[in-house]
Amino acid sequence: MMDLAKPEQFDLDRLAEELGALPDAPLAMPVQRLEPPVQPARLFAVLRPRSGRMGKVGH
Amino acid sequence: MAAGAASGHRVVLVRSLTLTASLLAAGLGFIVFLQFGASDGFDAFDVLRSVLIFASTFWLAWGAFTAFAGLTSRPPAVPRAAGPIRAMTAVLVPVYNEDPVATFARIAAMDASLRATGWGDRFHFAILSDTRDDGVAARERVWFLRLLADTHGEGRIFYRRRTSNKGRKAGNIEDFIKRAGAAYDYAVILDADSLMEGATMVEMVRRMEAVPELGLLQTLPTIIRARSRFGRTMQFAGAFYSPIFARGLAMMQGRTGPFWGHNAIVRMRAFAESCGLPELSGKPPFGGHILSHDYVEAALLARAGWTVRVDDDLTGSYEEAPENIIDHAKRDRRWCQGNLQHSRLLLAPGLKPWSRFVFLQGILAYISPGFWLAFLAASIAAPLFAPPIDYFPIEYWPFPVIPVSQVSKALGLAIGIGGLLFLPKLLILLDAVLRGRAAGFGGAVRAAQSTLAELLFSSITAPVFLMFQTRSVLQVLRGADGGWPAQTRGDGTLSFGDAWAASHWIVTTGAVVLGTAQWLSPELVPWLLPVALPMVLAPAIIAWSSRPSGTALFSTRTELRPAPVVQLHDRVMLRWTASDTGQTEAA
Repeated sequence: MMDLAKPEQFDLDRLAEELGALPDAPLAMPVQRLEPPVQPARLFAVLRPRSGRMGKVGH
Repeated sequence: MAAGAASGHRVVLVRSLTLTASLLAAGLGFIVFLQFGASDGFDAFDVLRSVLIFASTFWLAWGAFTAFAGLTSRPPAVPRAAGPIRAMTAVLVPVYNEDPVATFARIAAMDASLRATGWGDRFHFAILSDTRDDGVAARERVWFLRLLADTHGEGRIFYRRRTSNKGRKAGNIEDFIKRAGAAYDYAVILDADSLMEGATMVEMVRRMEAVPELGLLQTLPTIIRARSRFGRTMQFAGAFYSPIFARGLAMMQGRTGPFWGHNAIVRMRAFAESCGLPELSGKPPFGGHILSHDYVEAALLARAGWTVRVDDDLTGSYEEAPENIIDHAKRDRRWCQGNLQHSRLLLAPGLKPWSRFVFLQGILAYISPGFWLAFLAASIAAPLFAPPIDYFPIEYWPFPVIPVSQVSKALGLAIGIGGLLFLPKLLILLDAVLRGRAAGFGGAVRAAQSTLAELLFSSITAPVFLMFQTRSVLQVLRGADGGWPAQTRGDGTLSFGDAWAASHWIVTTGAVVLGTAQWLSPELVPWLLPVALPMVLAPAIIAWSSRPSGTALFSTRTELRPAPVVQLHDRVMLRWTASDTGQTEAA
């Protein structure tokens, strides 16, 4: 039996790792969808007037 | 079902009333200012300033009417399960370069408090370390073993350190759930500086058990252990005003309540199914990890159909807070970035309208100081663009028409805005005196003195906070990432030199504002003094307010009679700090 009141007697890292180990009971946590298909910034970019652009029509 | 529908109707009614009243107050401010501004000739600057007054007043009115709503009700009776507790609960304590002695001593205190309830075996603690500093991590391992030895906590108290900080605090919790979540029905999520009575945690589990659709239950943490003038003022304000504001908010949010990231309990299955956070496309500050994850997790739980609730009647939930304005501003910088990042999520698919409104509220909280600053700048600059006064506006009328002074309108508007700021707090004082709540704050007279002193203090510090917030917003907008600095805890006394280094730019701004006003609009100077003078004196205010407080003002219930778990923490700290040197050398 280890005397935990005297931790200097042991390999502390290993001991902390062993005694601190979390229960092995995995639970899935699926990633949620949060970003809208069209970001507001992109929406503004699409809607921005492009008065300076000229179509290449005719000569 | 009928009760649920009635509750839903009440929520819609309170929301509608609050929104209408806020819009009316803002509209009134708009009209009054437009009349005042147009008195010397109407121009575009008058419209601009009136719009800014509308936006600023709406935000102030929203806060005031939330408090008024809170004053009209008492905490509702909520269902709770009786009998034996069969559910298993994990108490999660994420740590990031914290002092392990203080943090683990809190766990020892909470463990003792839980065991005293007789339900200690139904709760496990998990210390989730994201610490990057190897020296601090080594101390964490030593003190973890000491914690186990002291509490006989083997098999009940766990410690794990992540090799990577992916996802920061939210990622830390997620990592726990993916490894060990299936072993628990509930998780109490804490911060490193959180303290909770065992009885409170047991009560939270009982309330979760009674309502199967309840996904998250948030408590209203009380600030404790404040020592500085700034800290104790914040501690008093939090304990005295916050329950009323929180109740007003609860009346409006219905099933879509808040999550403030800690001192709350979640249903493990609900949280795991709904709250896996993605990394946002693009770079920080707007892309990358979601910084203010708690608001988003609350929104995701609501989106999945779970109820999120805040119960302001739950006592025994505590946290610590920054001791000076600079540390507060550093924390606020992080929150500012997190809230502005939520602009990316306003159109997230499937969110409840209230969740979107909460995101918008958070954004407004940070950009509304900018409205005030823009209003001040526009007011100073307005005379440059004002048309000359027309003393003969009526054709063929031979006598000059002298414009009627509209100063009374400006004065009325200032009083109205002051009322929105001060009236809620004064009414909360009146409510506390009438209902006996003031006894917990040193009695009616002491509570009244503390409230008046707090109003004065918050008026003086508001311009300083306004400047820090505006700088934070500008930093985020230009793409600067605030990173993830560790929280500063403990004694926060600042020298004048420290305060000057952090705030000399506020002094310069205040001096420039006053100088420009004197040059362009000297009549504005007296109106600007309440804002500009604290800016010029910012270093003195910051240094003075960081010093230890010796006044009997700002007494709170937890100061006058420390809670049992706080006393337990004190005793553990006393025992452990006596042996700190030996432990550290062993490490």
